[in-house]
Amino acid sequence: MQNDLILGKLEEIIEPSFVSNRMEDLYIYSQDPGASLPRKVDYVVMPETVEQVQEVVKLANKEKIPIIPMGGGLTLSGLVIPLKGGIVMDMKRMNKIIDINSQNRYALIEAGVTSGQLLAYLNKNHPDLQPPIPDAPPSVTIAGNALIHGSGYLSQKYGDHGAMINGLEVILPDGEVYKFGSCAISDYWFTRGPIPDLIGLFISSFGTMGIVTKLSIKLFPKPKMRDIVFGLCKDPNNLPELITKITHREVAEDILLGIQDKPDWMKGYTFIIVYITGESEEELNNKTKILKALYRKANSRYMKVPKHIEDVFLEKPQFAAKAADFRKGGGFEYVGAFIPLQLIPKLIQIGTDISLKHGIVPTLGARLIGQGHSAMFFISYSFNRADPKDMENARDALHETNKAVLEVGGIPWKAEIEGQQLILEKMDPNYKKLLKAIKNLIDPNGIMNPGNWEVK
Amino acid sequence: MGGEIIISANLEKDWKDIVHRCFRCGYCKFTADYSDFNCPSYKKYRFETFSTGGRMWTIYGLISGEIPWNDQVANVIYACSTCGNCMEHCKFDKFKDFLVDFIEAAREEAYNQGYCPNKQKALLERIENLEMYNPYGEKNSENDALKKEYDLPDEAEWVYFIGCTSNYRQKELRDATLRFLKKANINFTLIDEHCCCSPILRTGQTKNVKEFVNYNLMKIRETGASKVITSCAGCYRTMKSDWTKYDNSTDIEILHTIELIDGLIKEGKLNFKSELNQKVTYHDPCHLGRHMKIYEVPRNILKNIPGIDLVEMERNRGNSWCCGAGGGVKIGYPEWSLEISKERLEEAKNTNASLIASACPFCRTNLNDANREFEMNFEILDIIEIIDNLDYEIN
Repeated sequence: MQNDLILGKLEEIIEPSFVSNRMEDLYIYSQDPGASLPRKVDYVVMPETVEQVQEVVKLANKEKIPIIPMGGGLTLSGLVIPLKGGIVMDMKRMNKIIDINSQNRYALIEAGVTSGQLLAYLNKNHPDLQPPIPDAPPSVTIAGNALIHGSGYLSQKYGDHGAMINGLEVILPDGEVYKFGSCAISDYWFTRGPIPDLIGLFISSFGTMGIVTKLSIKLFPKPKMRDIVFGLCKDPNNLPELITKITHREVAEDILLGIQDKPDWMKGYTFIIVYITGESEEELNNKTKILKALYRKANSRYMKVPKHIEDVFLEKPQFAAKAADFRKGGGFEYVGAFIPLQLIPKLIQIGTDISLKHGIVPTLGARLIGQGHSAMFFISYSFNRADPKDMENARDALHETNKAVLEVGGIPWKAEIEGQQLILEKMDPNYKKLLKAIKNLIDPNGIMNPGNWEVK
Repeated sequence: MGGEIIISANLEKDWKDIVHRCFRCGYCKFTADYSDFNCPSYKKYRFETFSTGGRMWTIYGLISGEIPWNDQVANVIYACSTCGNCMEHCKFDKFKDFLVDFIEAAREEAYNQGYCPNKQKALLERIENLEMYNPYGEKNSENDALKKEYDLPDEAEWVYFIGCTSNYRQKELRDATLRFLKKANINFTLIDEHCCCSPILRTGQTKNVKEFVNYNLMKIRETGASKVITSCAGCYRTMKSDWTKYDNSTDIEILHTIELIDGLIKEGKLNFKSELNQKVTYHDPCHLGRHMKIYEVPRNILKNIPGIDLVEMERNRGNSWCCGAGGGVKIGYPEWSLEISKERLEEAKNTNASLIASACPFCRTNLNDANREFEMNFEILDIIEIIDNLDYEIN
């Protein structure tokens, strides 16, 4: 079918002002703020209803046109830039907060609700509840973050954000509406089970299985007080044991690590950032005492930081994107590797070595996930967007890092297409066989974000 | 996390070299608490292209030659009221101060490339017209009649720069200002003013700005004045921020009328003898607020007027929602401009105020237009008009 005919069909489904094949829109949607090269987009659509999503998917399936669902578009790893052209479906007009069930602590929301929107809504209307939001800017979507296995606030205490999904409404390539979790049986979107759990098919599959239109995400109690106890650790080999001990004492809401050569005082140290919460000053003081003692025993030390620095870390969401300006060039991308705790010292070495090799100031860190069950360790590479060679240098560094992470036993998170292929190379053959079979069953025409997780 | 952040932007020299430093993180779209989108352009169009980040990337695409100019691209550059919400909420220090400048610089490129839209081009055509010198297409007033009516001298300490909107569209505001200045015994006069150039600067039509600035400064200097006062937020910003780029030798002090009024209140010289028993909310003009950081001065005046119950709209000060008139949007996108104002009026409704005060004739115009169009039944007045309606003494 000719392009203009497809455009016409799309405009019959969605108001024409939210359908575009205009050069300037395709230009913006053909790239993201990471280091990926731009790739061709044919159309951008912004549906407002489930029915519109269904009709667009049916059209795409009939015409065998790739379709790529997009949330905030800030994965940085090019996951919503089409690999084979097609329709980018920007979900941000589907932005209704449908229900907050404060008793069972979940939010039922549409896929385009941003983390900023949900955070502000709860702050105003349910101040005793807090949502799991990522370290990303407030323009990212709650759905997008959870569906890429995101981590962020509350991950230390309650696990990665993908694990916080109670239920999903998904449009599969046949254009039908499917419900997963308790909502498939009950009016309450309160749990994933106790039925065969298919929700995992849509997590970290990067839109290759279907388009999520609604999700239920867990909410958590918001303690009255929140503070940070900073620490400094000289020897990275002490970190795994120290973190295990901190998590064992159950005093931390969240734990972050920061390792970077700038500013100068941070060089050679790991900056430990432990968030504590409580209902009283006394509770916070007790937790602080416990942490100070743990730091001391691990040959690390408590660090008092100026209030303005503490405030930066207490801001929600944190402004992690500032790395984009480290090379005065508007770009950064990172390998965020899911690793077991014992790999932290190795990852510090790997990240530092690769950064220095590529002439990039080492900027590394970690967010602890699930009471010490794992860590998301990031190795970040800033680049100058206006310098193609600098971007290529960052892509090379990312690729090397992905390889090194896999070699030592970690798994790159939300990996760009080259990283996905490295993961697939190392993946158990039967896992791949099953993944391919499921994909073919759900998406026989291969229209859903094709190219990603493609088992050859 | 930390890191080295250095930006030294010289807009005239290197804006093309730094515009790519926008990461497109999207803070620019939001209110301060992220509860809503506060960028009028993104809120309407919703494609990422129409966020400030999208606009920065589009500008970079044009500079780098990755995309060519055409009318649709020009629309992306012009469909923005340059309200400055992006500057207020962008997280990249220093860089953020230039976001609106980048957009205006891109508009200059659009104009030079022949892609300035016709509606906006009309502004320049009227301002350049030797019979007009104003964007409204009115015959130039020269202000001689007003000088006679108010018995104003040729030489004075102050010049009241009326501004085109007040002189040709909001004469009540102009007259209220003239009466106030007389009552305050300010030694002032008027000049045969030509447009301050705000409309053409905001729409990238800068080729003759220097000539206009020189002319107006010459006329001001002819009076011997050391101070210029204006009742127009747009003129105020332009004279204070833009004129100095064209003539940095001037040592003339620029004031907005609210600064004079506030000073008189603080000195105990202005005393109100009657009350205004009304619930009032204040709309922050973008020109005066986000662009010039004047937030408390108008509020202090309103709080000092007996009887006024001053209530705030949810979005106020740096977090305000734009009236939708600025940046060439009123002339270029008249219907959308009214939609933007409608949202402001709806927000004002939630305060139960019956009077909306502002300090910008252009905001007053657009809010009033929307008030009529959507039958919102507000009274919308400039602060100087509110004062003019009261009994007051100035000692």
